[in-house]
Amino acid sequence: MSAAAARPLVTVQSLESDMATDANSVPLPDVMRAAIRPDIVTFVHGQISKNARQPYAVSKRAGHQTSAESWGTGRAVSRIPRVAGGGTHRAGQGAFGNMCRGGRMFAPTKIWRRWHRQVNVTQKRHAVVSAIAASAVPSLVLARGHKIEEVPELPLVVSDAAEAVEKTSAALKVLKQIGAHPDAEKAKHSQAIRAGKGKARNRRYVSRKGPLVVYGNEGAKLVKAFRNIPGVEIAHVSRLNLLKLAPGGHLGRFIIWTKSAFEKLDSIYGTFDKVSEKKNGYVLPRAKMINADLARIINSDEVQSVVKPIKKEVKRAPLKKNPLKNLQVMLKLNPYAKAAKRMALLAEAQRVKAKQDKLDKKRKPITKMIDVVPNCIWIVYNDPAVGDVFLLWLVISLEEASAINSASKSWYKTMISDSDYTEFENFTKWLGASQ
Amino acid sequence: MATVPGQLIWEIVKKNNSFLVKEFGNGTASVKFSKEPNNLYNIHSFKHSGLANKKTVTIQPGKDQTVVLATTKTKKQNKPSTLLNKSVMKKEFHRMAKAVSNQVCDNYYRPDLKKAALARLSVVHRSLKVAKSGSKKRNRQSS
Repeated sequence: MSAAAARPLVTVQSLESDMATDANSVPLPDVMRAAIRPDIVTFVHGQISKNARQPYAVSKRAGHQTSAESWGTGRAVSRIPRVAGGGTHRAGQGAFGNMCRGGRMFAPTKIWRRWHRQVNVTQKRHAVVSAIAASAVPSLVLARGHKIEEVPELPLVVSDAAEAVEKTSAALKVLKQIGAHPDAEKAKHSQAIRAGKGKARNRRYVSRKGPLVVYGNEGAKLVKAFRNIPGVEIAHVSRLNLLKLAPGGHLGRFIIWTKSAFEKLDSIYGTFDKVSEKKNGYVLPRAKMINADLARIINSDEVQSVVKPIKKEVKRAPLKKNPLKNLQVMLKLNPYAKAAKRMALLAEAQRVKAKQDKLDKKRKPITKMIDVVPNCIWIVYNDPAVGDVFLLWLVISLEEASAINSASKSWYKTMISDSDYTEFENFTKWLGASQ
Repeated sequence: MATVPGQLIWEIVKKNNSFLVKEFGNGTASVKFSKEPNNLYNIHSFKHSGLANKKTVTIQPGKDQTVVLATTKTKKQNKPSTLLNKSVMKKEFHRMAKAVSNQVCDNYYRPDLKKAALARLSVVHRSLKVAKSGSKKRNRQSS
């Protein structure tokens, strides 16, 4: 409801009997811009339609008009109460239970069932207002199923000459002139026998609904003229019925207004600012969103200027690679890893080399005597007791000497440990005496 | 009238309307079609809906092998009788296709409906062709 800028005008359709100069226009009453609330309408419609119900119930004595008593146990029959007496089929038959033939039903229907429903007055009014507003939207009227392709304008307002129409044939002509005939025809062609039991229960025929003609002046002849046309219904403006405005709870009945009816709408329902004259203290309901045109809001300057640009390319998460296996990924996470790894590799290489050297040394024979001989010095040593002792002074390098030394030492150690010699090491102990 | 915006209308209409046709399955398993004349794919959805959009395109067969292309005028939303810009086309297919795409996308009317409009055109056109030649129906009455 753009601040009632210029309330759009609705042209009044003129009929044959009008003076050509009479065609004019009426501003749109605010009712037609009220919030359209299908949820409220469905609810209220459901509740209201319960109000015309007539109670039904089973007779309260049904199934109890016997003096049946149970035979108890011991007679090889089930224990339900059985009809007393004799001499007839009925004797001994089960009675009273819902499972028995001729017994009373389960939970016999009562007339004091709550047939009618109360609905808050404002809710009822809101529903009516919504329904009227919906009747002004061609899409909704079409969606409800009315044939309005030839209607010149919605909401359809007809000059008051229509209220004076007396004959049904004239009424039909009026409908044709204003393009409402296809809808009335649709209703006429749809008359059929109801499917289901209803046809045997005084609801034999069904048909579609046609236009609803709303008039403003009491006692207009129009009522009698239009009421016999199949599908067409009449209503006075001040007594609009939700069950007629939204049949079946569905919004968007095709309504034909007369000019006086249309003009009265404003006083009956009020405007958004003005209180209604006829309904005490009533103001039209406000919508949750004043401007419900999402597309326009989204594309408006105010919104677009603040909104971030569209992300055209979709960023997808890359496959996670395992840093423990993939060096590049590891480096991305921990650049020091490269240096650490390099150092580790070098250290490893060194360690390997050192070990290998050690092993080589151990495994390679220190020096074969024969190889060394040319490098030896014979030393003759004259021992008076023994004679000449030829000592062989091996020329061995210092490293070799120390290697030999350590080799022999470790050999001795392993010998000891292998042979558990430690206890024998101290002869003193062994002998058990100290000397 | 403060035009009730398409989004609103869609919310009201999408659950149930007289043109809705649900086929093949129950509950969420069904496909939803829509029979309204302004729907190019006859699919029940906001984009294709003839009820909820201000600008719609419709392509229907006319009489005698003509194709009717109609677009809705945005200014005349509440005047159903004068709502459509109708143009009856009786040309060969390529010219009609050019006309359709001109009306629909080249003047930025509803460029998102271009494919749909052309598809519908070709289908309608083909259906008319068959009607013309009258598929040879053997008259089973006479021996």
